[in-house]
Amino acid sequence: MNPKLYASIAVIITGLVLLYGISDFPTFGDPRSPANSGVEGGAPSTSLYYINESYGATKVPNLVTSVLADYRGYDTMFETVVVFAAGMAIFAILRCFGRDDEAVITAPTKSSIDGDHNRIIVGTTCRLAVPVVQIFALYVVAHGHHSPGGGFQGGVMLGASFILIALAGNLNDALGRFSERSYMTLASLGIIIYAGFGVLPQVLGKNFLDFGVLEKFFLTDGPEMARSHSMLGVEIGVALTVMSIMFAIFANLSSRGTLKGGL
Amino acid sequence: MTVTIIVISVILILTGIFFFLGAAVGLLRFPDFYARMHAAGKGDTLSSLLVILGFAVYQLHDFHSLSHDWPTLLVILKLLAVVLFIFLTSPTATSALMDAGWEDNVKPIIAEGRSNHLEDDCDDA
Amino acid sequence: MILSFDIIILVFLIVAAIIALNVKDLLSSAMIFGIYGFLICLLWAEMGAVDVAFTEATVGAGVSTVLFIATILNTRRRSSD
Repeated sequence: MNPKLYASIAVIITGLVLLYGISDFPTFGDPRSPANSGVEGGAPSTSLYYINESYGATKVPNLVTSVLADYRGYDTMFETVVVFAAGMAIFAILRCFGRDDEAVITAPTKSSIDGDHNRIIVGTTCRLAVPVVQIFALYVVAHGHHSPGGGFQGGVMLGASFILIALAGNLNDALGRFSERSYMTLASLGIIIYAGFGVLPQVLGKNFLDFGVLEKFFLTDGPEMARSHSMLGVEIGVALTVMSIMFAIFANLSSRGTLKGGL
Repeated sequence: MTVTIIVISVILILTGIFFFLGAAVGLLRFPDFYARMHAAGKGDTLSSLLVILGFAVYQLHDFHSLSHDWPTLLVILKLLAVVLFIFLTSPTATSALMDAGWEDNVKPIIAEGRSNHLEDDCDDA
Repeated sequence: MILSFDIIILVFLIVAAIIALNVKDLLSSAMIFGIYGFLICLLWAEMGAVDVAFTEATVGAGVSTVLFIATILNTRRRSSD
């Protein structure tokens, strides 16, 4: 019979079971919900611990940044590695060297934005928008301690600005500004920066990613500000990797791995 | 003073919503692709401008002194920046969509006995 | 959290999801998936998870739509399903 019918029945049954499960949920935004309880040391709830203690321990007003980059530093590091691995996988599958593929969609013959009559409006607007996007992305990276944002968001926005150049003109315009050699270097450099911030405390005799001992490097008064500054460094590493990988994925996908022509 | 500012902002927001309605009606009722994009592009841009300007004016309603209320001024500046970017990008997006439709050979509906001037513009380009 | 606002966004979410699954043209499906990502971003921002909403706005509604379209233009545009 119709396979979609069976699929719909399965989906409806699963949905009903999930809806039934909602009835046991704690109320919205409850810091003492069961999922947060049971931290060692007698704290009543993990959320309350972060809400009460994290500003004193890290001097970072944005809870999310301090949890992501300091308390859950391992997690964020391997998330960055996952992004890097995804980029490398796409590079390994798609990238082809030196073979001229007949089926590649060729870009218009007038390659520059200015010379192409049909694209002059889009090209000019993108030329106006790209610097603003990049400055806002740098603000998001650097200001992630105080406002929403951080390495991932800022990195994706930086990558999107290069994708915007590639979409408004063609891929060569973007690759002229951000070549394959540089994005591969920057992607690896981001991981190295993050891992380096992890190894540095180990050299000083503490645990991996224990930023508190870095106060001698940053010449700050006390381990709290050292944690805050290390978080900024870590976010910059994340932003470099994410930016390069986003653009690498787009460049390889849109040109079938030849890095010629593009969309 | 406060009441005047709130009334002005409400008038701006309501005008914006009215133009949004016009854009939506035009999007549904106009006959061909280009007329629909015309309605969507123009109505959307103007109504976004009016609604966000209404928000910006509303922020002024408890503005007393510059030294005390400068965060309000910051909010207004951010809203104006949003307006600026919508004004930059929304017409460009409309233009790009129109271009894509023209390259895809979407024919506009033209009244009997009138010629299509766009055709001879685009042939030599 | 405003319940009426939540319900409106959730209804739009379900509609966008169903349309994105049912459309035969994969390009339209990718665009509607972008709308889905933006609606989920709105929902998260409205519930107070601003960082997650920011990530969803940049990744889900922004870059992933572009990547989908880049892939579709290099493969087939029609869905056989």
